[in-house]
Amino acid sequence: MKTAGLIIVILAGAILLYATQDFPPWGAPDSPASTHVSPRYLQKSMEETAVPNVVTSVLADYRGFDTMFETSVIFCAGIGCFALLRIFRKKPEDRYYRHIATEITLHIKGGRIPEKSSEFERIDALWTPYDLIIKTVCRILVPFIQLFALYVIAHGHHSPGGGFQGGVILGASMILIAISYNMRTAIARISEKTDNLLMATGVFIYAGIGTLCLILGANFLDYSGLSTILFSGPIMARSHGIFGVEIGVGITVMAVMISIYNNLASEGKQDEGL
Amino acid sequence: MLDIVVIFLLVSGLVFFTGGAVGILRLPDFYTRLHPAGKMDTLGSLLMVLAVALFNLHDFTWMQLITSLKIVLVVLFIFVLSPTATHAIVDAGVRAGLKPWTKKKE
Repeated sequence: MKTAGLIIVILAGAILLYATQDFPPWGAPDSPASTHVSPRYLQKSMEETAVPNVVTSVLADYRGFDTMFETSVIFCAGIGCFALLRIFRKKPEDRYYRHIATEITLHIKGGRIPEKSSEFERIDALWTPYDLIIKTVCRILVPFIQLFALYVIAHGHHSPGGGFQGGVILGASMILIAISYNMRTAIARISEKTDNLLMATGVFIYAGIGTLCLILGANFLDYSGLSTILFSGPIMARSHGIFGVEIGVGITVMAVMISIYNNLASEGKQDEGL
Repeated sequence: MLDIVVIFLLVSGLVFFTGGAVGILRLPDFYTRLHPAGKMDTLGSLLMVLAVALFNLHDFTWMQLITSLKIVLVVLFIFVLSPTATHAIVDAGVRAGLKPWTKKKE
């Protein structure tokens, strides 16, 4: 069986290697990839959309539908993780509390949940003492990460970046809080409800900008129609429209990252974990 | 003049990187290997990125100064974060109960 598998793999690899000979040479001017529509994008992108980064203008303007449904796919992934993993448990479980002054740990089995107090702190079942260095560095670092994420989103017109990348960095900053403190601290910052609302808000912003174009008399996602409400020419309106769309993408990606992390790490309880 | 400084920084960074690589390969256990990985890589990348920031200042225009400042920011973050990451890894090793390597008595 092993030899049969090996023969099949070698044969398939040989056929693939043989087929690569028919590819056009790298960077050939007459290859299909650089003849049909890409020269037009490369030449006209700057004068039509005023976006120096051609990748951004193709992604969010010329291929706006594709990106909109990509955002929807990410939204569906978040909703799918939520639907598969989230558990709403009615009966209270074991909980651990720590008396802050004396560092004595209490284990409460089921029954009544104690009220919140400043003397006791709820801890995870697999609790390890907070590390001062990691905690402090993460606390100092998170604002810088978020600032950088906003920069990546806003600067996608000029440099590599955009909504997807910036959204992931924003989500990572919140996940860093969940790792360095605990999950309840992160959920206190962005609650589950807010997070799920933000997931839908991003897609709504994207599709809403498209519909706004439709209302203003242009095609769906043709941002030049926005020029009447943005008080700018149609070319700058396309540039601003791309920016608005990127913000929507960023919000969705951030919220989905946080939601997937919370559901996976806490096994759907959104309570404790990692 | 600037070139000499840049070359000096690059070469010294390379020396630290080489030392770090040799240390990771040759040292006996988890903790001792993290020692070169944490220290040498921090200093090596610090010197090298500083060299890049200096090299960028060749004509000394406003745009180049901005770019160099951003690169110096990268240096700052590496300086803070790389030791913290090493600390977190070592901490996890200690908590998981890994015993440090010692010379066996014979």
